[in-house]
Amino acid sequence: MLARSSCLRAAGAIRNGAVTVSKRAASTSTTEAAASPFRLNLAGGAATAVAIGSAAWYYHLYGPTAHAMTPAEEGLHPTKYPWVHGEYLKTFDHQALRRGFQVYREVCSSCHSLSRIPYRSLVGVTHTVDEAKAMAEENEYDSEPNDQGDIEKRPGKLSDYLPSPYTNDEAARAANNGALPPDLSLIVKARHGGCDYIFSLLTGYPEEPPAGAVVQEGLNFNPYFPGTGIAMARVLYNELVEYEDGTPATTSQMAKDVTEFLNWAAEPEMDQRKKMGMKVIIIGSALFALSVWVKRYKWSPIKTRKIAYNPPQMGGKH
Amino acid sequence: MGFFTDLWESATPWSSAEAEAVSGSGTDSTPAQGGEAGEGEAADKNASDNKDDDAEEPEEEEEEELEDPQEKFQEECKESKQCSGPKHHFDECVERVTGASESDDKKGPSEDCVEEFFHLAHCANECAAPKLWAALK
Repeated sequence: MLARSSCLRAAGAIRNGAVTVSKRAASTSTTEAAASPFRLNLAGGAATAVAIGSAAWYYHLYGPTAHAMTPAEEGLHPTKYPWVHGEYLKTFDHQALRRGFQVYREVCSSCHSLSRIPYRSLVGVTHTVDEAKAMAEENEYDSEPNDQGDIEKRPGKLSDYLPSPYTNDEAARAANNGALPPDLSLIVKARHGGCDYIFSLLTGYPEEPPAGAVVQEGLNFNPYFPGTGIAMARVLYNELVEYEDGTPATTSQMAKDVTEFLNWAAEPEMDQRKKMGMKVIIIGSALFALSVWVKRYKWSPIKTRKIAYNPPQMGGKH
Repeated sequence: MGFFTDLWESATPWSSAEAEAVSGSGTDSTPAQGGEAGEGEAADKNASDNKDDDAEEPEEEEEEELEDPQEKFQEECKESKQCSGPKHHFDECVERVTGASESDDKKGPSEDCVEEFFHLAHCANECAAPKLWAALK
């Protein structure tokens, strides 16, 4: 019924179309303009062409981004490795930290400083108090001035920081062909890619650079280093250190351990932070659940009320 | 009093564990480590540390050469079907570039295989990463 009537109406509209158009045109402008819908179509078409054309011109100017760097200059992006300590509810593997410190101490520390780590922070993390004290005592530090004003040397204490291999950056550059070995205290945070980058860099030295690659004098080819020319040569080789827990000291094992240790050095609070995060989530969710129940309780009189309207009897006796 | 606190601590799962238990073996090795390394200079610290580890664990000695699992997995991955494309391109590039350098034809643009090397290394590492982490400690 409804459909039929609308059909009829549509048919009527088509039949009366010509009449309506002429009527409307007559009401707005002269009959001459009304006779040529071509100009209206032209105007519409031109406006559309300008709209599309300007958008295309804009994309032509600003759309595509220019990449001025070659892949070699960018460096190879490190592969994502499934670090266990990177998971939300996992701590550092402290046996790995102890092995990693051994690798740092026996290998890396001949060039790289770790100047923000005192011996005391190793206590309870990688070593016991006595072990850390013994390690600190192996080094000499400046003492307070004595009665004559001379500064004497004293054995290290737990509160002393790990000794740096060079006295200052200039000495480090002079000893390393002009290249400065960076301090490793915060290196995991300081490099794009973090642990993955450090691990890839340490293990990524190919046996020989790919054909045609130009390696400057005094540099080594490493695909992960931006520019591919790195002053540090490959240092980790199988069985370079001997782990006290008997772990086979392969190159990748040492790189993994030392990377995890450097991650600890950069984020020593990570274990505590994750624990605190868990506490926050537990307490927060408990309070949220409580608030839901309190809301239901407070709203229960309003939600359960019933409004009744009893209309007066109409047409009855008044 | 101590009895009740012990009881309480053993019943509560959140009671703290002290790490001092492991320090027994650690402190034994300390004098040796401290004494021996203390004699040497800082420069030959490495050598002395290796020495005192030798004494502790003679049963861990392995005669054969260690093989790095990373190298093994990466080689396998480079040969695998997954990386056949990048491998093919890299090999072709190496052939082309070495051929061009040997023929002493300096007319063509100098080319290197760094990009092809990147693609191959990326593919091999992606493939080897989970295997390597399963193999390492």
